[in-house]
Amino acid sequence: MAISSEINHSLESRVDYRLVDKLVLNTLKPPTVNWYILFVVILACLAVGVSCWTYQILNGIGSSGKSNPVNWGVYITTFVFWVGIAHSGTLISAVLYLFRAKFRMPIYRIAEAMTVFAVITAGLFPIIHLGRPWTFYWLLPYPNQMQLWPNFRSPLLWDVFAVSTYLTISSVFFFVGLLPDIATARDKAETKFRKFLYSVASLGWRGDAERWKHYTSAYLLFAAFATPLVVSVHSVVSWDFAVSVIPGWHATIFPPYFVAGAIFSGVAMVLTLLIPLRKAYNLEPLIRAEHFDAMSKLIIVTSCIVGYAYITEFYVAWWSNNKFERFQFYFRPTGELAVNFWIMFVCNVVFPQFLWIKRLRTHIPFLFILSIIINIGMWFERYNIILQSLYRDYIPSSWGHYNFSWVELGILLGSFGWFGMWMLLFIKFFPSVAITEIKEILPPPVRDPKNLKH
Amino acid sequence: MPGSRIALRSFDNRLVIGTFTYLDDFLKAIDMVKERGLDYKVYTPCPIPEVEKTSANFWSKVRIFTFTGATLGLISGFALAILTSLDWPLRTSAKEIVSIPGFVVVGYELTILLGGLFTLFGLFCLTCIPALMSPLGYKPEFSADKFGLVFKCTDEEARFFIEELRKCHADEVEVRDHF
Repeated sequence: MAISSEINHSLESRVDYRLVDKLVLNTLKPPTVNWYILFVVILACLAVGVSCWTYQILNGIGSSGKSNPVNWGVYITTFVFWVGIAHSGTLISAVLYLFRAKFRMPIYRIAEAMTVFAVITAGLFPIIHLGRPWTFYWLLPYPNQMQLWPNFRSPLLWDVFAVSTYLTISSVFFFVGLLPDIATARDKAETKFRKFLYSVASLGWRGDAERWKHYTSAYLLFAAFATPLVVSVHSVVSWDFAVSVIPGWHATIFPPYFVAGAIFSGVAMVLTLLIPLRKAYNLEPLIRAEHFDAMSKLIIVTSCIVGYAYITEFYVAWWSNNKFERFQFYFRPTGELAVNFWIMFVCNVVFPQFLWIKRLRTHIPFLFILSIIINIGMWFERYNIILQSLYRDYIPSSWGHYNFSWVELGILLGSFGWFGMWMLLFIKFFPSVAITEIKEILPPPVRDPKNLKH
Repeated sequence: MPGSRIALRSFDNRLVIGTFTYLDDFLKAIDMVKERGLDYKVYTPCPIPEVEKTSANFWSKVRIFTFTGATLGLISGFALAILTSLDWPLRTSAKEIVSIPGFVVVGYELTILLGGLFTLFGLFCLTCIPALMSPLGYKPEFSADKFGLVFKCTDEEARFFIEELRKCHADEVEVRDHF
């Protein structure tokens, strides 16, 4: 159903403090049967993933489809996919906070939760990818009896620093944003368990003027720190490829191309999460047509940047007159893996163009389907980049093949189960829409506006 | 931070709690209490610029923590990369042992990491959280949709303030014993 007619109603005109509390705290009520069914399905996906990883550990990394020369496959694709998903959460919460974009208020909490849980999910994949995952801590710089230190010139080590910093700062930002809302939930908790849970989690927060002053200063600083991370993390991830000399990877366009792609896929994932949440908990008065309209515009912009990057890659390959680059970009849309390229191109560049139609920008079922299409397309983008370049590098004698195994697919499915489990638990136990920040943009209740001479 | 902390006058034995629905009434009440030189605490459901101007008009020191953390992070990031490379001088791809461009990433990430963690620590220190006890006079509705004004005074003053707060359209004025 199109709800574009709602666009003219601003958030401020229909909602007051009391309604915000009521709507948001309603999401914390005991789970429904549907929630339990979804949770069981998600746990089943997770169980499949855990079983497959266990199988891989017991039988060796050969049980995945990796081989020479294609030794980065579904795992690294999925790692980049989840890091990308994480990105737009920080964009919505931090960057749009600095720009004072009001449309972020009702959506940023779910986007932040998505960020934290997506980074937790992404962080598993480099470990799963290792032949001996129990040695993952060798990546960390710690004093050891072998007197060895990691190579700080390696982009893989930059990844360790970038992703762990991103996880830490995103989690802190997320937690600090939650504090006053948990305090509100504490003050309205109806059961002893919830009261205890929220009392502990809110750290005894009470919103007096002095605390708010420190809080808003700190929040601004967190946003200022998180903002460069939006750009840096996926840039660093892109350097995993760009710093190498493999045709199709060694390109200076990679950092902006990856960052735009990450925002693109992340905003799509926010829509995938937000639409069912809004429906299930009757959050329509808070998450409204104008918010979907704004996110749709963000999708169009980033889709165009991503499309431009795809075309630029072809142009640069032709212009460089490098035969290996030229071959690579001839191979991608026409070779034996061309289907990956075309899925990527159609899902990421063609379908989002429908959002130029104003009516579709607020058509909820269309947006939901489009968001899933975009995420499929973005997974294939990373699969396309990783696979095609490793398939066909310089010497034909070193060319190879890659067939993903059921183990990899099982772990990919498990990653959705892992992510979904955290999201569902979060939605049930903590406010998934920011109470305090929505109140901040509402006009405070006044008896006579003329009295506000301060 | 004058005007923001409840005074510890030894003869104050009453705690007055005013609850307000409307911001303009609330601001009037704050002015009235300020004029009489009493220290007070105000609770609001969210940060409100008008209340901040009257009751928390100071410069938050949290940024000192941030600056300290970020500086420490920058120094320690470069120090970690440089000193460990010198400790284990393994040349790769004909690059310098101390490759500053590559180490910028480590320095940059640790700047943000320690800057963020120190900001969190600063926030905890300055707002005194985790707090085990609820502050005197706090009511659950102050986090929902009401504004709260809390101050200490003498028995005699309390009678006067009850009247004054009612004149300011307080929804409820409560006086508690405080020894």
